Amino acid sequence: MWSMIVLLTGPVLAGFLSLVIHRARVLHVVNFSTMLALAAAETLLTRQVLAEGSVTTLGGFVYVDALSDFILVIITAVGLSCSLYMWSYMDDRVARGIIAPKRLGHFFFLFHMFLFAMVAATVANSLGVQWVALEGTTLATTFLIAFFRRRESLEAGWKYLILCSVGIALALFGVVLTYYSSVRVLGDASSALNITALIGVANQLDPNVLKLAFIFILVGYGTKVGLVPMHTWLPDAYSEAPAPIAAMLAGVLETVAVYTVLRSKALVDQALPPEFTGNLLLTFGLLSFIVATLFILIQHNYKRLFAYSSIEHMGLAMIGFGVGGMVGTFGGLFHLLNHAVAKALAFFVAGNIHRRFDTLEIDGVRGVARAQPITAVAILVAGCALVGLPPFSPFVSELLIVSAVAAQDFASDTMHVGRFVTMTISDEMRSLGIVALFLLFAVVLFGGFMFRIGAMVWGTPPAGIAQGESWTVGHVPLMIMIVALLGLGFMLPEPIQTLLTRAVNVIVVR
Amino acid sequence: MPASTHLGSQLVDLCSVLLLLCCFAIVAQRRLSACVDLFALQSAFLAATAALVAFLTGHKHIYFAAALTIVIKVIVLPRILRKVIERLNVSRELGMNINIPAGLLICGALVVIAFFITQPIIPLGYLLTRDSLAIALAIILIGFFTMIARQKAITQMVGFLVMENGVFLGATAAAYGMPLIVELGVFFDVLVAGLIVGIYTHRLQDAFDSVDTSTLTVLKE
Repeated sequence: MWSMIVLLTGPVLAGFLSLVIHRARVLHVVNFSTMLALAAAETLLTRQVLAEGSVTTLGGFVYVDALSDFILVIITAVGLSCSLYMWSYMDDRVARGIIAPKRLGHFFFLFHMFLFAMVAATVANSLGVQWVALEGTTLATTFLIAFFRRRESLEAGWKYLILCSVGIALALFGVVLTYYSSVRVLGDASSALNITALIGVANQLDPNVLKLAFIFILVGYGTKVGLVPMHTWLPDAYSEAPAPIAAMLAGVLETVAVYTVLRSKALVDQALPPEFTGNLLLTFGLLSFIVATLFILIQHNYKRLFAYSSIEHMGLAMIGFGVGGMVGTFGGLFHLLNHAVAKALAFFVAGNIHRRFDTLEIDGVRGVARAQPITAVAILVAGCALVGLPPFSPFVSELLIVSAVAAQDFASDTMHVGRFVTMTISDEMRSLGIVALFLLFAVVLFGGFMFRIGAMVWGTPPAGIAQGESWTVGHVPLMIMIVALLGLGFMLPEPIQTLLTRAVNVIVVR
Repeated sequence: MPASTHLGSQLVDLCSVLLLLCCFAIVAQRRLSACVDLFALQSAFLAATAALVAFLTGHKHIYFAAALTIVIKVIVLPRILRKVIERLNVSRELGMNINIPAGLLICGALVVIAFFITQPIIPLGYLLTRDSLAIALAIILIGFFTMIARQKAITQMVGFLVMENGVFLGATAAAYGMPLIVELGVFFDVLVAGLIVGIYTHRLQDAFDSVDTSTLTVLKE
C-alpha cells in the first residue's frame, strides 16, 4: 500500500513544490529524487505483484496486476533516465536564454502532473477514472509541447489538444457503452466500471454493446497511441516538443495508451470471439506500419523521422496483439518495452544534436561522429535498434511478432467485407501475405531510416560547429539505455520474464 | 410500444430532441457569440433532462450531476468563451471548410447514421430513456463534424463541448449516469480544458494575429 501511495503522491508533491522553488539546482534535485523514490516504490510493488498476483488497495480505487505493473516499470524506468537527461538539457536551454529561468518551475510542475496522470491511468481500477487520467495527460502536455512558444510549437500544441480531446471524447462514449452493458449485470453500483468487478462477469455482458464500445474505445485511445489514420497530430507534437518531453510522449504515453486499449480488449474477448478485437487491431496495426514506413522515406526533419518511427512501432505492437496467442502477445508487450527504451534514446540524441547544430533539418546535420562522438554512437545504436537489427532487443520482439503472424491459426477463413461481399481466403495465404507485406516494408524501412541516420553521422561538420564532446550528467542515461538495448537482446532478467508471462495471461483470456 | 405512451419517457425524449435542435442551430450559426449562447442553452436542456431523469427514477446522484452541469457548462465555460471572444475582437466566422446548407444536410445524414448504429443495442436500455441513446450519438457525431467544418479556435472548442454534452446525455440515458467519481473527474477535465483553451487562444492571437486555425499551416510534410 505504501508503495502505491508514494507512486501517486510523489509526482503531485514534487509538482507543487516545483512551483515555489526558484533555484534550478534545487529543482533538479527534487525532480531526480522524486523519480528515484518512484523507481524504488515500483520495485517494491513489483515484488508484491510477483508474490501475490495482483494488488487491490486504497479502498478499491487502485488495482495493479502483472500487466499494469509492467507498464509502471516502463513509466518509472524511462522517467528516471529522463530526469537525468533533463538536468543538462534544461540548464543548457536556460543558459542560452531560450527559456526564462523562472519558467523552469512551471516546466517541472507540468512534467510531474503529466507523470501523475500517467501513473493514475495505469493503476486506476475504474475504466472511467482511467479515462479521466488519460485526458489529464492531454491537458498537462499541451503546454509542455508548446513550451518554447514558437509559432510552430503553438500550432503543434493546438492540433494535439484538439485532436486528442476529440479522440478521447469518442473513447468516453465507449466507456459509457461498457457501463451500459455492465449495469445490466452488476446493477446500478458505482463499482460497475471497475476492472475487478468486470473481470468476473465479462462473459455475461451483451456482445453487441461491447462491439460498439470497443470500436469507440479503439478509435479514441488509438488517437493517443497515434494509429493511422488518427496520427496526424503526432509528428508535429513530437518534433516541436522539448527533447525530454518528446521522449516521454513517445516512450511512455503511447505505452500507457496501448495499455488502456489492451484492458478493454481483455474484457471484450471474454464476451466475443477474440477474432473480433484481433482483426481490428491487426488492420489498424498493419495500416500504421505501412503508412508510417512510406512517410519515413520522405522525411527531412530528424525528429519527425523518429516520430513516424513511433507510429510504425506502435503498429507493429498492435499486429502482435492482433494476432494474439501467447507468442504474439508476449512479443507485443516486450516490443512496448524495447520501443520505449530505444525511442527515448533516439529523442535524447535528437536533443543533443539539436543543441549543437541548432537545426532540425537532416540536411543541416553532417559529421556528428566528429562533432559529438558519444552522441554519434548513441544515434547509431538507436537507429539500428529501431530498424530491428540484431543484436539489439527490438530484433527479438519483432521476430516473435513475425513468427506469431506466420504460425497464425485463423479460426474462420471467410472475411466479410461490408455486408454483401464475402471473400474466402485460405489461412496460409493470409498469414503468408501479411508476413510478406511486413518483410517488404521492413526492408524499405531499413533503407530509408539508415540512409538518413548515416547522412547525419558521417561526413564533415558544417563550418562553425564546435567539435568534441565532454561528459555531462545527460550522457549517463544514454549509456544505460545502450546497455539495456544490448542486454535485453541477449537475455531477459527472470523477474521481467515472469512479469511478462503473467501479463500475457491477463490479456489472453481464452 | 409501451414506452412511448408513458408521459415521462415522452418528456425525456422531448428534452433530448431540444438538445439535438441546438446542435443544428450551432451548425447553422456564423456569429461566434451566438454559438456560445446556443451551447449554454443546450447545456441547460441537458441539465433539465438529467433532473427529469433523476426525478422520475429517484436516483439522487443525477441531481448532483445536473447541478454541476448548470454551474460549469451553463455559467462558467460560456463566460470564459465570451471573454475570449471579446478580448480577441472576433465576431463572425467568414471562412468555413463546408458551407452551411451542405453542413446541415450532412448533419441530417449523421442523425440517420446514429439511429442506424444504435438500432441493435437500443432494446437493452431502460424503457424511460432508451431512445435518447441514439440522439446522444447523433449529438456526438454533429459535435465532431462541427470541429472539422469550422476554422475558428473557439468554434472548435464549442464542438468539443457539444460532443461532451452528447456523451453525458448518453450516460444519463443508457445507465442513469456514470459513477459519481467518474462524473466529477469528467467535469474537472472539461473545466480545465476550457481554461487551457482560454489561455491558448490568447497565445495564438499573439503569435499569429488570429485565432483562425487555417493559419496553422507551418507544419506539414
